[in-house]
Amino acid sequence: MITVSSLLDDHWYERYKKISKLNIRSSIYDVTDRCNLRCKGCFFFSSGEHEVASEEKDVSKWHTFVEKEMARGVNLAILIGGEPTLCLDRVEAFYKRLPTFCATNGLIKVPRDRFPDMMVGISLWGDAEDEEILRGKDTFTISSANYAGDPHAYYLYTITPKQLGKTEKIIRKVRDVGLKVHMQLLSNDEDVDGFSWQPDELLAVRLEMDDLLDKYPETVISSKYYHEIITTGKMLGRPFGWMECPSVTEPIDKREPRPKRLTNFIRWSSDLQTMHRCCTSETRDCSTCKDGAAHMSWVMVNKRAHIKTPQDLRNWIEVYEMFAKLYQFIPW
Amino acid sequence: MNNDITQTITRIAEIIIDELKLEDVTPETFDPDLDLVNEVGVDSMDMATVALFLRDEYEIQIDEDDYPKLTTVRIIARYIDDKLTSND
Repeated sequence: MITVSSLLDDHWYERYKKISKLNIRSSIYDVTDRCNLRCKGCFFFSSGEHEVASEEKDVSKWHTFVEKEMARGVNLAILIGGEPTLCLDRVEAFYKRLPTFCATNGLIKVPRDRFPDMMVGISLWGDAEDEEILRGKDTFTISSANYAGDPHAYYLYTITPKQLGKTEKIIRKVRDVGLKVHMQLLSNDEDVDGFSWQPDELLAVRLEMDDLLDKYPETVISSKYYHEIITTGKMLGRPFGWMECPSVTEPIDKREPRPKRLTNFIRWSSDLQTMHRCCTSETRDCSTCKDGAAHMSWVMVNKRAHIKTPQDLRNWIEVYEMFAKLYQFIPW
Repeated sequence: MNNDITQTITRIAEIIIDELKLEDVTPETFDPDLDLVNEVGVDSMDMATVALFLRDEYEIQIDEDDYPKLTTVRIIARYIDDKLTSND
């Protein structure tokens, strides 16, 4: 039988042991139906998720809800939108009790006296020109002023096909304001002209992301295996899709055979009752989904499939470490 | 080690091998002291699957909070033995 230690040298085995018992159990929460931007390609609005339920406005109910989530075993709350910073009292209900990650467009600064070490992921969709096209505003100027040098914040850079050849400039901008950056790919849920990925572009962006990781290892939080997975949509020869996705809401997951999946994962609507299908858009075609977190989780839950060769297992470790860093389970 | 524990160890190893589809190992050759997380790569979902089988087979409750303690086949066997003894 192949064992972990038989595949790894001491250095990698120590890295494996640091993460192997983390047992991260995340769920995702829509904090509000509202946002102070309306980005083209934002799955929350393009798939009508802001209309499926009316947000709960009684903060005491959010506190009670979080207690129940903890009892369900959740140990990482991932807060998404609309824009969570519009409702900081709700964010606080999570932050007071749980390791909490808050996604934001960065236009409103999370007050650090109230949330001193909450991890903040700031969305960025490219250079100023693309941000204007897709989001109606160059958000970097504002968000970088709000978060420059913040050790508990990083940019979540959604790369679009139009960014090919221009990504290094973005990485440098992030580095120069003293922040980290994690990269993912636009899924273009609203079919904005020119923003859908073509095969040759996916190949090119993979090479570009690899190059950025090599050149800016202190700034870029990523791994080459992750780049391979999100650009090819394949892991160990298996294509990503509905029957493979780990991030389907558990109580409504009727798939047979049941794939390896996130334990107890639910994506909650902001009414605190409605469950969304999965971590991203319900209208998205799973076979072309580029969701970075779903692909990371796909690798993570398939650990034993990677206990085959030293390289497979090292790939798995790097992806798990990346996730653990992005959500503060291990330091940068 | 008494026969009951030896049998339990072999049966647990058999369940783990079957459920996790482990290759190149038999219940008889499975090292009962091998760390299931650090060496076999068992994760919490695997453990939940194995626990369900053990629950049905031995008619005991395995608290999810106990999973992190169940690090080897031998420890699981002792855990089951203790549960069965306390049920007598």
